[in-house]
Amino acid sequence: MALAKSSKSSSIFNKKRSSNAAGALPASAASYLSALSEADASARKRSGPAITASPTSTPALSLSSSITSSSEDTILHEHEYMSDPVLASNKDGLLLPLRPPTSEQVFNTVHTEFGHCADESFRATSQHKLGTPLAAHVQQDPPYYILLSTYISYLLLIILGHVRDFIGKRLNPKQYRHLMPGGGYAPLNSDFDSFYTRRLKTRMDECFSQPVTGVAGRTILLLDRYSTDYNHTQTLTGTRTRALNISSYNYLGFAQARGPCADAVEESIKRYGVSTLGSRLDAGTSDLHTIGEALVAKFVGTEDALISSMGFATNSTYIPALVGKGCLVISDEYNHASIRFGVRISGAHVRMFKHNNMKNLEALLKEVISQGQPKTHRPWKKILIIVEGLYSMEGTLVNLPAIMELKKKYKFYLYIDEAHSIGALGPHGRGVADYFGVDPRGIDLLMGTFTKSFGAAGGYIAGNKTLIDILRVHGHSGAYAESMAPPVLTQVISSMASIMGLQLPAETTSIARGSVPPMLEEEYHHPGPAPFSSIPAWVNLPPALASGKEGSSRIRRLAFNSRYLHNGLIKLGFITYGDPASPIVPLLLFNPGKMNMFHRLMKDRQTPIVVVVVGYPATPLVTGRVRFCVSAAHTKEDVDCVLKACTEIGDVLDLKHGIPAKDRWSLEEIMDRAVELGTME
Amino acid sequence: MNTTSATLAPVFTFLEHALTTAQTTFDKLPGSAVIQRYVKSSHQNDPGRTLLELILVIFAIRTLLQSRTRADRNGKHFIQFSEKEVDELVDEWIPEPLGHALTATEESDLASVPVIAGPNGPKPKLVSTGKNAINLSSYNFTGLSGNEHIKQRAIDTLRKYGLGSCGPPGFYGTLDVHMDLENDIADFLGTEAAILYSQGFSTISSVIPAFCKRGDIIVADRAVNFAIQKGIQISRSTIRWFDHNDLNSLEEVLVSIEKERKKRRAPMTRRFIVTEGIFQKDGAMVDLPKLIELKYKYKYRLILDESYSFGSVGRTGRGLTELYNVPASKVDMLLGSCAIGLASAGGFCAGSRTVVDHQRINGPSFVFSASMPALLAVSASEGINILRNTPSIFETLQDNVRAARAILDRVECITIPSHPASPIIHIYVRQQQQQQYLQYPAPISASSSHTSTSSSAKHHHSHHAKDAVRESEYELEERMLQEVVEETLAHGVLVTRAKKLRGQEIVEPRPSIRLALTSALSKKETEKAVNVLKTVLVKVLNKRR
Repeated sequence: MALAKSSKSSSIFNKKRSSNAAGALPASAASYLSALSEADASARKRSGPAITASPTSTPALSLSSSITSSSEDTILHEHEYMSDPVLASNKDGLLLPLRPPTSEQVFNTVHTEFGHCADESFRATSQHKLGTPLAAHVQQDPPYYILLSTYISYLLLIILGHVRDFIGKRLNPKQYRHLMPGGGYAPLNSDFDSFYTRRLKTRMDECFSQPVTGVAGRTILLLDRYSTDYNHTQTLTGTRTRALNISSYNYLGFAQARGPCADAVEESIKRYGVSTLGSRLDAGTSDLHTIGEALVAKFVGTEDALISSMGFATNSTYIPALVGKGCLVISDEYNHASIRFGVRISGAHVRMFKHNNMKNLEALLKEVISQGQPKTHRPWKKILIIVEGLYSMEGTLVNLPAIMELKKKYKFYLYIDEAHSIGALGPHGRGVADYFGVDPRGIDLLMGTFTKSFGAAGGYIAGNKTLIDILRVHGHSGAYAESMAPPVLTQVISSMASIMGLQLPAETTSIARGSVPPMLEEEYHHPGPAPFSSIPAWVNLPPALASGKEGSSRIRRLAFNSRYLHNGLIKLGFITYGDPASPIVPLLLFNPGKMNMFHRLMKDRQTPIVVVVVGYPATPLVTGRVRFCVSAAHTKEDVDCVLKACTEIGDVLDLKHGIPAKDRWSLEEIMDRAVELGTME
Repeated sequence: MNTTSATLAPVFTFLEHALTTAQTTFDKLPGSAVIQRYVKSSHQNDPGRTLLELILVIFAIRTLLQSRTRADRNGKHFIQFSEKEVDELVDEWIPEPLGHALTATEESDLASVPVIAGPNGPKPKLVSTGKNAINLSSYNFTGLSGNEHIKQRAIDTLRKYGLGSCGPPGFYGTLDVHMDLENDIADFLGTEAAILYSQGFSTISSVIPAFCKRGDIIVADRAVNFAIQKGIQISRSTIRWFDHNDLNSLEEVLVSIEKERKKRRAPMTRRFIVTEGIFQKDGAMVDLPKLIELKYKYKYRLILDESYSFGSVGRTGRGLTELYNVPASKVDMLLGSCAIGLASAGGFCAGSRTVVDHQRINGPSFVFSASMPALLAVSASEGINILRNTPSIFETLQDNVRAARAILDRVECITIPSHPASPIIHIYVRQQQQQQYLQYPAPISASSSHTSTSSSAKHHHSHHAKDAVRESEYELEERMLQEVVEETLAHGVLVTRAKKLRGQEIVEPRPSIRLALTSALSKKETEKAVNVLKTVLVKVLNKRR
């Protein structure tokens, strides 16, 4: 939530810097603190009285008292870490910015949660050029020796695993008891089914399920652990390490323990408690649900929306209410497990098409419509195409313009899972429809989650009112699943409203808040600011958020960071997948051994970086990868830091198989030309 | 003739030369001798054999190259159309609408769903009336909702962790507070370990497919809740049902399965009994000691859904295992809901370490879903703490249950299938009562109860009201109960019809009113509220006597 001060002269990045983040002069904590409190004081002098509704105050500089107090908290909060000598050293530049802010710069976020980045040039717009087709995504192949060694690695692992199983079962049967039939019971888990888990995944368990604490913001606190028995059990050491977090789905940086959204959540806990005590249809609906659903509908640009308490369950319990026997679901081959779960429960027939391959999809559509249902050849009752807006393992965007063209001709219904794209894509953060400039009302159902961009939990489905009402009554969650908890709803409402901005009542000051005419609702144009009356009266957004300036700054920061990291990695010579606009940046590692190694090398750096490595079965066997999730909370230095780490580790692990060496840029060149990289498509 | 052979001679020499060159190059290739020997030995002067082998090789290559997504293309049911015919068929095809609009009843049901203004609790304020009502319908058995201590702990947690965890448990979504809650649950119940899911409803539909695969056997109660039904469906296991809450029927099924297995000499597969502690659909309670006995006798594993009994029965709310004094470790997979039992959110599965660790990789809604917000996990932990230290909560709750049953059991026009100790009480219309109701045209009040919908819908209703005699028994009962619900609410008591997904359940449950009692209300208040309900029940159900 950096209040971006646009004056160029005060930008910290224009000053010449000797080297990158890790090597730069470490500012002492004390000097930083004094600078911050100075800044705070100067801000207080300038700030007018706290009027949330005042449209005249300039958001960039005026700070309501609530912000000021929160930045006081911030200092206290960071002070906690100061008392911990290990965490407070700031050697790694994680805790505090390496250069203290000038007294004119006012940041009201905690640097560890949401990085301070004042330079307006490190921003970009997330928008597809209208009228141009989406460039086909080419998956670059590695040299043959990499492929060969990958296959051989897996072969070795498998052979070794079987040998160990064979010998182990004879010499150490105790270890295998749970895999053997015993006492009249079949084993709970067959040794064949669990072979991959036991013999391949366990080897790299240190990359998974790392326990953490605190906010999953720009940085994250790892609970250190070790294993003495080859990863069968993990023991916590009791120490903690702060690491740069490029793994959490925190696209817009709303994972914050401080700030107006958290303040609103606190207020909601005081007012509503933590639970609604029941399902939506059974007295578990609160007025917050009504408010939240109306706001979501406005945000995505549909008539109505419903909210569910779990993202996975949104797909798995609402898809069965849409399709059933005699219906066909056409699903992208890389769709999320929750979609498969829902489709399987629904009893509908399923066909898959090659990932994002529109030719394949069209051929399939021609085939299924002309052939009808298998055996009987009756026409399908309906055909529903389910795709994701942004694919979480590939970083690819759905080719929405092409699908909309096909939709006109083939009359199928379209369901888009925007779990990752909502908030993260589009000039207004309204997802893929916004990004491609497609009218969301032309899409039958838009589903998404609040876990990612909004720092909350749960999911939504949006569409026309008839359809949403059908889902409310026939969807499994409505009757049986617990409804969304009030604090979570409040986080959704406050973060969403600050992305949209609030439409202040027109000639304002005279009109009291409650008497805003309902006309406003009718006049709502998508994508625009939310009507002032659409959030609860007790959610107080300071002007910076209420104006939408902060939200749009986050979207632009995310767009810049995504492009910068993606293009930077390409220029360094790595093979990446996906669209540069995507905040998910997969970097290909291929060999299974390198996955573990990469993870470890990143974590053991002077500035520890935590990454997510994914391999088979989440990806095809050969294309093991590391997946970066960029956030608006990252500063340009953070991305520099990741790029530096990647290039160093990439040399060690032989990962640079992308563009030919002569076209590559040096790290320094990349860092200097960041603005160019971050804004190019 | 001679001339032709003369002209062809160079061609023959060339061919011969080419053949020998090919032969020598082939011989030079490593491993060629092996192939040669193989071909020779398999040929055995029988061209048929070679042909067969060749066909096999071609078939293998074809299978390898065949695309997975176009499997139907060559099926025998595939009809070859010309491009033009395909286009015509595409043009002709008219899909059904994506959803069929709700019926008038469904619409009015949806409109009558109560919306609560502000916090939910024992006496929430309703948006529709603007008044407070005594709440007999929300799951707040222990009265933990609105607990100031829990709220404070939730706020503290918010200030340390933020709200969302922003990741699945596998990828930096495992917080220390999640591990603490898992330990708290395991410790509270007395199992080796526990695993936390982020939604109570999704827990069991994920646990069942994590263990039960195709070919495994599930024996389940006919009246299990919807989440279990879906879990069973997705597991693709062989399913056998036994009569609702009838353990003799269970034993018969178990015996017959064993017989079949012996007859077919089938290999041993995993076998599971799936049932509920307190049934969501009618509040009946399973006889746990007998169930455990059967499970050991026939060597089944027990998946017990305690969503509605955890935090509601037992001296300190540990559920059925505490009530019957059975060690929880005897239940292989014990599931509960923190949303229902602890007035927080999420669900859990407790069991042995093997059982829990298996789910961490194989439970779909654990692996593929973001973990629970930290403050909700801490609220649940605090809830357990409070339950542990305040057994009086459950004394009050049981007092309330007894008081309510004392009143309701004496009402003649209803039957109650629920267990006397269950804080969930379902109320059925007594069969003969409903017959009586059926003989008369629908009461005017029934249609007037739908006033909350738009005026056109109301008109629609009164129009159809005359045809109501022809309505199915089911709808009639639902309508009567809805009238009771609305009338009770008018007297300041919030109750609800048990909501269900009609047409989607395996066995259509009978319409009922579901009460959920709470220890947050005193005995007096409970009695007062139940008396209101009783009066309304008697009035509405006997109206046309």
